[in-house]
Amino acid sequence: MKNAARMEWIKLRSVRTTWWLAIMAVVSMAAAGAGVGLGYRSHTPVATAAQILDNSLGGAILAQLLLGALGVLVMTGEYGTGMIRSTFAAVPRRRRVLAAKVAVCGGAALAVGLVASFAGYLSGQLAIRGTAIPAASLGDPAILRPVLLTGVYLGATALIGVGIGTIVRHSGAAIGTLFGLMFVPVIVAGLFGESGIGVGRFFPLLMLLNSIAVTSPVPGLFAGWISALLMCGYAAVVILCGGVLLRHRDA
Amino acid sequence: MIELRELTKRYGGRVAVDELSVRVQPGAVTGFLGPNGSGKSTTMRMILGLDAPDRGDALIGGVPYANLKWPLKTVGALLDAGAFHPGRSGRAHLAALAASNDIPGSRVEQVLRIVGLSDAATRRAGTYSLGMRQRLGVAVALLGDPAVLLLDEPVNGLDPEGIRWIRDLLRGLAAEGRTVFVSSHLIAEMALTADRLVVIGRGRLLAETTVAALAAGADSLEDAFLRLTSETTDYRGVGTP
Repeated sequence: MKNAARMEWIKLRSVRTTWWLAIMAVVSMAAAGAGVGLGYRSHTPVATAAQILDNSLGGAILAQLLLGALGVLVMTGEYGTGMIRSTFAAVPRRRRVLAAKVAVCGGAALAVGLVASFAGYLSGQLAIRGTAIPAASLGDPAILRPVLLTGVYLGATALIGVGIGTIVRHSGAAIGTLFGLMFVPVIVAGLFGESGIGVGRFFPLLMLLNSIAVTSPVPGLFAGWISALLMCGYAAVVILCGGVLLRHRDA
Repeated sequence: MIELRELTKRYGGRVAVDELSVRVQPGAVTGFLGPNGSGKSTTMRMILGLDAPDRGDALIGGVPYANLKWPLKTVGALLDAGAFHPGRSGRAHLAALAASNDIPGSRVEQVLRIVGLSDAATRRAGTYSLGMRQRLGVAVALLGDPAVLLLDEPVNGLDPEGIRWIRDLLRGLAAEGRTVFVSSHLIAEMALTADRLVVIGRGRLLAETTVAALAAGADSLEDAFLRLTSETTDYRGVGTP
């Protein structure tokens, strides 16, 4: 397992796509944070610390797609190029390969997700310096929690990507499926208005915007940490499905 | 030694490999001949555990491939010239595979030298010419210094110099006592490279013989091959009308 993980780590860092997606994820959250901060500078009435924080983590909408795509490509990039045959010839225990990818990609995406989340928070705070808007301190648990949980959410999204990539195997189809799963349920829930929230609180994007990346969850939604755990549960389910299929299919 | 026991693979209703039983011995280059679509590549993939046989076994020294602890140290395979990520450098490709089988990094530099890719090692593999891709594939096969080598159409796309290089390499490896199993549909090339031949058509074993014995009964090895496989080709042109 240790050797398979070393292989996956070398593979992950030796393609440019990885770096581009990681950098773009951090940049998109930093840019959203700065944009929100600047937008609120001359806003009346004066914004609250919570308002700034909630909005400055909004870049996660884009970052989740970038890191989700990263997770997908870790798997489908190999099927698309024929690399998967080299990989499975080197490590015939396929679920060991999957486990190594989950560990390495999940760890990397969690790290990048946390950096991106802090970048969103920090650039939001920097952009409101010198105004009457109160600063949000990371010493405050209500501030630190959404910043950390957003990073966890992004890591879990990448793992959902790994799972979908294992099931679907084709880059375009897998990324399409991932994006569809992120957005379509939210649109459907929106059709039901207020009553949609009973189901909507289980949907990734709604959890992100109303429960995970906010100082206090919108009424009707789960607490942030429950939503984050749900995301990890979703990741576990798709990865397990992928693992079952991996065993029986020809490479 | 490679041993196939009644190896069988179906794709839907079509039988790709049909009760194939063969022993490939060490110390010789064994050519694996057959027309296009005769099941050579499918057989190779089943030996490596990439495709699951519907029936029968493929064993390496008596053990299924999936049970080998460090497969690359036992079996080196060149599957096709595209089994890499085009965005990754040749060196990183080899380093990743080496890490998976606990092979030291110094061996990566060694095989890069053997195949002549040292100067191109930092380039992305997608920029390699077809000949360089084949060389990268051969480097992967040699990585674990394995006693068994499996090469699927290694001379495809190589220039005359590259073809001779592969031929000398394979003969040298066999002379060291290794098992070398090479598929090809190029009979003339096999006549120069192989000692023994396994001929299949439509997934069935047609002959298990030596190059000399097969050529003996006909004007040329090509004639002998075409006569042997004439009943089993799936498609055939009729020449100019």
